[in-house]
Amino acid sequence: MAARSLPISKRGFNFEMFMWTFTRFTVIVMYGLILAGIVGALILSARTGANFGDILYWAFFPNMAQNPLNQIWMTILAKLMVIAFVLAACGHGVHGVLEILDDYFVGADARRRSRNIVITYAILASLIAMYVIWIK
Amino acid sequence: MGLKRNVSLSTALGYKGEGPYLSYILHRIGGSALFIFFTLYILSLLGMGFASTIFSNWAFQIILLIFGLFHAINGLRITILDLFPKLIEHYRKAINIEWVAYILVAGFALFVVLRNAFGG
Repeated sequence: MAARSLPISKRGFNFEMFMWTFTRFTVIVMYGLILAGIVGALILSARTGANFGDILYWAFFPNMAQNPLNQIWMTILAKLMVIAFVLAACGHGVHGVLEILDDYFVGADARRRSRNIVITYAILASLIAMYVIWIK
Repeated sequence: MGLKRNVSLSTALGYKGEGPYLSYILHRIGGSALFIFFTLYILSLLGMGFASTIFSNWAFQIILLIFGLFHAINGLRITILDLFPKLIEHYRKAINIEWVAYILVAGFALFVVLRNAFGG
């Protein structure tokens, strides 16, 4: 089977094309952040003597665990990375959920409504997550 | 496209889409599982106790890992094939490699969760 691919110039640029591209880039960002997070947590656990699992747990649930990192710049870096991950995951998920919903809602109105609901939910959830991760 | 598909459940289950179709369906189920995870994560960050309780349940962790890991590994395959379209010719081989990687990673994750749950 020959590989078929359409040049970007011929694909047009609409909402679907934009979200498809956005989904691909956000997933690459997520893989990069996961890799950087695991390597970073391993380095930090070796340097600070903190448990690897404790660092990861604190990074994802900062309001439920004690900060195992002593130096403030490490804490800021870890928080920024987790916020970046949450934003990338949220952006990636929006398109996935919309794609599934589009298979079941076929009317223009229903699709518009489901898009608005999902995008509003994603924005709200991201704002809450950013606030808690940064403040706690 | 109308919603009326005129396909019975038994016909749908008997669809011979094989590996690619199975990975497509599991990718959607995995995405939905991760959506639930993300919602619970936000609720947990907000300090809702029930969300943390659900997170610490081993059965929930297993379901999340089985579907979430498949979504991640299958997503990696899709991304690689999207970025390197010439590899699409080998997509069945890519799916087989994906399954091997998934079984190894998910097996290890299940072992860790079950060992923690039952204190082995």
